[in-house]
Amino acid sequence: MTLASRPAAMSARRSRAAAFQFLPDAAKLHRLSALATLFLLILGFALASPAFFSVNNGLTILLQTSVIGLLGIGMTMVIITGGIDLSVGSVLALSGVASGMAIKAGVPVGPGMAFGVAVGAACGALNGLIVTRMRIPPFVATLGMMLMARGLALQLTGAAPISQLGEAFGRLGNGALFRIVEMRPNGFPKVIFPGIPYPAIVLLIVAIAAAYLLRRRQIGRHIYATGSNEEAARLSGVRTDRAKLYAYAMSGALAGLAGIVLMSRLVTAQPSEGVMYELDAIAAAVIGGASLSGGVGTVPGTMIGAFIIGILRNGLNMAGVSAFIQQIVIGAVVIAAVWIDHIRNRP
Amino acid sequence: MTRPLVELIDIEKHFGGIRAVDRVSLDLWPGEVVGVLGHNGAGKSCLMRILSGAMTPSAGEIRVNGSPASFSSPNDARAAGIETIYQTLALADHLDAAANLFLGRELKTRFGNLDDARMLAEARTVLARLNPNFKNLRDPVSSLSGGQRQVIAIARAIYFDTKILIMDEPTAALGPSETAMVADLIRQLRDEGIGIFLVSHDMHDVFELCDRVVVMNKGRLVGAHAIHEVSKDDVLSLIVKGELPADWSARNLMAEAAQ
Repeated sequence: MTLASRPAAMSARRSRAAAFQFLPDAAKLHRLSALATLFLLILGFALASPAFFSVNNGLTILLQTSVIGLLGIGMTMVIITGGIDLSVGSVLALSGVASGMAIKAGVPVGPGMAFGVAVGAACGALNGLIVTRMRIPPFVATLGMMLMARGLALQLTGAAPISQLGEAFGRLGNGALFRIVEMRPNGFPKVIFPGIPYPAIVLLIVAIAAAYLLRRRQIGRHIYATGSNEEAARLSGVRTDRAKLYAYAMSGALAGLAGIVLMSRLVTAQPSEGVMYELDAIAAAVIGGASLSGGVGTVPGTMIGAFIIGILRNGLNMAGVSAFIQQIVIGAVVIAAVWIDHIRNRP
Repeated sequence: MTRPLVELIDIEKHFGGIRAVDRVSLDLWPGEVVGVLGHNGAGKSCLMRILSGAMTPSAGEIRVNGSPASFSSPNDARAAGIETIYQTLALADHLDAAANLFLGRELKTRFGNLDDARMLAEARTVLARLNPNFKNLRDPVSSLSGGQRQVIAIARAIYFDTKILIMDEPTAALGPSETAMVADLIRQLRDEGIGIFLVSHDMHDVFELCDRVVVMNKGRLVGAHAIHEVSKDDVLSLIVKGELPADWSARNLMAEAAQ
């Protein structure tokens, strides 16, 4: 290159860089397409059923999505490390049961719920130890935990739900912030403003905390590095085992929290609750842009994915589509999402 | 300086019945470039991994500045001032240049958050020193060229307080101009008093840059010579046969005798 042509080439490069700034990169493009899908779904279902686009149904979706979202955030962390957690549905049930039993045994509601979350975290930590210490592939390790946690929940309760947990236990799942209720002269209450459901607030707080953790903290950076290139991360001085253990423990704890929210909403501890929820969580993460080969994934993306799954289920219900057809649709959506992920990663 | 930077004494590494490294002793002095040569599987990578803390020796002793050291992880070796540039570069593909440069040693703010702004600024400075055209620091390193990736790996090794540098095939993926840049850098670091182990297959590089060569064959150290004692053929003989040619005598002495 001659000296004269150099400035021209540099300015060309600069203008090309500027042009690329208008074009979002692949990850942003993926998230935008997921957002577009979300809006199309809302539009489609709103046209199909007038009841879909109502405040009450919106709240129902928010409640349903909060459970998928909590599971999805934990799943995202695990998927970023290059692993998978198939045990979240069962851990959710075990945590709810543990919490219910503690409260039945006389523990106050707050500590009883915290105990449930701790049980979830312990299950997740055990997953992490099996993966990092025994070098068992995550798929197998968490599949084993899926059976063990479910079996334990059923064994402890004799497969019977624990009910009559008291009004306080139901507050987290059924209560709402800023709810305005007016007593009418006939003695029945009238809800003027339904408020923001506590589960949605829990989801928002957890999502912000998890996004902060992944983006701004060292452990988050190490979780990405571990999934991106484990050997390189290890040679760079990242304690990859610790990063993985952390991700699995977080996934377990969030599964526990999701279990408490769900059981609180039912005001019953159900040992058979949460079957196949892990697939919804994986679907949420993958639709949101997480890559099953590791190193990629974001909390905002997973939130969009969780809402897509939640709205899909709710909208199909409202449109009167049978549960069997719903399974077929969601299965196809998951395969499509993973397929898009593969296309995206092809050089 | 009266004392070597690092001494490896009777290092052994066994995998089952295989002796990958067999009683190897080696030292490195400040401001010295030592070429480490040998076939694939001769044990040179294994030996370097032991020194960089990525592998623990089965037996033997490592001394840094005369005092015994034991490295159970790469962090221990780095704390002793030993940095490694791996042949694979050891980069996390999805992270950007700055994140890779500081991987495992992230700069943090007062509140313990990642200080991305400062890491980016520091990365910009150190990368500009190696390659003034390095501009796309925010891109994931998977989208960078081989040369740029190499520059990040080198920058990561020299940014911190380095005393001993292990370079495993640093020019294997590079073009001619980048190779020349790495050669200049090696000379510059040597002049700053850093000791360098240069693992290479490129005989030209070795004779150009090294003060001393050591050759490994089947896990053993079969030769250690000052570079002016040996010819390329002598070194090849050591690599292939594990011994010097039968009629060998030191090249520089022969030259003196001829005069």
